[in-house]
Amino acid sequence: MSEVVIVRNLQKSFGRVTALHDVSLSVREGEVVGFIGPNGAGKSTTIRILLGILRRDGGEARIFGKDVWKNSLDIHRRISYVPGDVALWGNLTGGEIIDLFMKLHGGGDKAKRDFLIRRFELDPGKKAKSYSKGNRQKVALIAALSVDSDLYILDEPTSGLDPLMEAVFQDEVRKLKEAGKSVLLSSHILSEVERLADRVVIIRQGRVVESGTLDELRHLTRTTIRLAVDGDVRGLAAVRGVHDFRATGNQATFSADQEHIHHILSEAVKLGIRNIEAVPPTLEDLFMRHYEN
Amino acid sequence: MRHNFARWDMLFVQFLKRDWKKILVWVLGVGLFSAGFVPAFEEIGKGQGFRGLYETMQNPAMIAIVGPTPADRAEDYTLGAMYAHEMLLFCGLLAMILSALHVIGHTRREEELGLMDLVRSFQVGRQANSLAVMAETVLINVLLAFVIGGILAGYGESSLSAEGSLLFGASIGMAGIMGAATALVMAQIMPASSAATGASLGIVGALFLVRAGTDISKESLSMLNPLGWTYLTYPFTENRWGPLALAALFTIAAVAAAFALEGRRDLGAGYLPERQGRVTARKTLLSVHGLFLRLNKGVILAWTIAFLVIGASYGSIYGDMQTFLESNDIMRQMFTASGVSIEASFTGIILLVTTSLVAILPVAVVNRLFSEEVRLRLSQLLATRVTRARLYWTNVLMAVLAGLAGTAAAAVGLGATAVAAMGDGASMDIGDFLAAGFNLFPSVLFFAALAALALGWSPRLGKAVYLYLAYSFALNYFDGLVDFPEWVSKTAVQSWIPRMPVEPFDGAVFATITVISAALMVLGYFGYRRRDMAEGA
Repeated sequence: MSEVVIVRNLQKSFGRVTALHDVSLSVREGEVVGFIGPNGAGKSTTIRILLGILRRDGGEARIFGKDVWKNSLDIHRRISYVPGDVALWGNLTGGEIIDLFMKLHGGGDKAKRDFLIRRFELDPGKKAKSYSKGNRQKVALIAALSVDSDLYILDEPTSGLDPLMEAVFQDEVRKLKEAGKSVLLSSHILSEVERLADRVVIIRQGRVVESGTLDELRHLTRTTIRLAVDGDVRGLAAVRGVHDFRATGNQATFSADQEHIHHILSEAVKLGIRNIEAVPPTLEDLFMRHYEN
Repeated sequence: MRHNFARWDMLFVQFLKRDWKKILVWVLGVGLFSAGFVPAFEEIGKGQGFRGLYETMQNPAMIAIVGPTPADRAEDYTLGAMYAHEMLLFCGLLAMILSALHVIGHTRREEELGLMDLVRSFQVGRQANSLAVMAETVLINVLLAFVIGGILAGYGESSLSAEGSLLFGASIGMAGIMGAATALVMAQIMPASSAATGASLGIVGALFLVRAGTDISKESLSMLNPLGWTYLTYPFTENRWGPLALAALFTIAAVAAAFALEGRRDLGAGYLPERQGRVTARKTLLSVHGLFLRLNKGVILAWTIAFLVIGASYGSIYGDMQTFLESNDIMRQMFTASGVSIEASFTGIILLVTTSLVAILPVAVVNRLFSEEVRLRLSQLLATRVTRARLYWTNVLMAVLAGLAGTAAAAVGLGATAVAAMGDGASMDIGDFLAAGFNLFPSVLFFAALAALALGWSPRLGKAVYLYLAYSFALNYFDGLVDFPEWVSKTAVQSWIPRMPVEPFDGAVFATITVISAALMVLGYFGYRRRDMAEGA
């Protein structure tokens, strides 16, 4: 699989404020990469550098093998972008704005546009100033999805959408993936990233702190285990790799390091397991772990 | 009924707390504007000035702009009569528009912003807000009336009687109150706040145009016009209070109608349905220049028409200039001595003033691109095949074209009416006016170039171009009155250009300023190409 986006050691500061210290990530062909981090972590700055809207101070950033600043136009031919803050011209209607963006991008599909307008239940005849945040986001999404691109850069595209529309969005992203397109999806709706992303990049204060597939990331963290045993459950508290141990009667809940899971379970078996539940860490657990300390 | 207005007094106090700065600027600003020009008018009226102006003001074109005067003879055209004649209609309009905007800002606009939902979730009556806004606006206009009346009476001029001063102020205040009432009705009917603003201003504009017609043809018909109930009170001459009573009745009826309408509508909705816009875009929109033409269309059209009108209003004076000169010995000697006709001299000065105003338009067009950027409307557009060169040059060229249109409008407006007003004995033709106007075009280009330079290198300085423009304007405006040293005058770009038609055209200066401007634009492009687009904040 070839790499569509390559970012290495990206740096950017605004005056004295350093927004990006060291950001590296990649998006391969046909892959959805989730880009997560809290507000102000540097997601949008990274994306705006990728689009050639901002100039980087250091590091490397390439899309389709081309430099994002020098060859931005060649790159723009083959990408679609949905900004995090969608601002539209109040006096134009949603339909007019979608048509404009499609035309300026080139290669739009009229039928696809109409299909998406129906799917997202947008009223394209309304002036943009009367749209809610969700409707403005729909305009940007429809414009971005109606043109044929190889890479879709989506900056928190669903933060204003209701759950039904979010489902439609997820469905459309799945279609892109099936068609072999690449997607860079920045979001803080973690369940959405969990559902769509092949790989996840976590950014914090301008640095990438974790990246890999969800499975890989899960191995780095702990699984929550709840069990009931015949013997004295408190014996497990001292086993290596057991954390946050809480017991009531002969039941216990604790989190377990992945690398010690075999040892922990062997000890539990000795007590006679009556019931066991293992909950894999959610992306939220992963995420919180990076930010709590 | 009480229930509907519950706690309006709390909202009223709240509005005053929120708005006190705005109210201060409003009352003092409009008050000083309305009453502060007395010394200037005194200056104009020295010697035989009022007589000359009286003749000028009989011109139908002038009546269409400022309205009629009850003075039948030049002797009756005192300082007070003239002041009311030339100022009252305009100041009343200003008060009306400000009040209308204020009312809609506190009613439909706040509904759209979602503020009203919150307010109404408390124990606040359905119509308490409207009553509070109306009360606030009435209070502002009453204050305004007293400030204006007080300043006017304070001059101690014999023709500015106390009664007339108070009536002058009250007429302006009443105009404001009527504007507020009209806006309150429109706020109930229209589907959105912008439509309500548009409709209110449209009504004021339509009333103004209708009265221009009736003032010229049959003055009594103007008394059927609500706008007529303000400026036809004739302060300092006839002191008619009757029209204000009509205005008060109109206000009460309009407010009652607004309350009745409001009682039956949903929050955030009007009686007229929202007009369905275009579902697909016209071909003309689908390009960078198409988009920016659409965005700038309103301001370009409005300014071009304004320049036509400004030019035309000055042009209408040309017919009376000789009469004016005959009545004023000093002026006649001045012009005879310099060997320049009064018309030529006037043309040079007026075009200098209007061209300085024209320069606002291209600066606004260039600055627009940055305000689009800051408001993040370009984000998605910058990710398409649109180059920065395309964005920059489209806007800069559009600014240059807008400047050309404005210059042409000012020169044609002035020239066409002047030639018509001078009749057979015209000493200049339209070509002279166009030449004199476009002679100053490099200065317009220069301001556009400064804005372009700022856009490329330091876009937040784009607004500072207006400061330099205002400075240059003031310098040129007062150049005749105050003797500035040569080096001070030369800090205004217009001072480098000779004043046609009095002075001959200077091709070298024309070309130099044009080339410098073009170079600044190119320089601005290099900055625009490499700088970061604004991050929003």
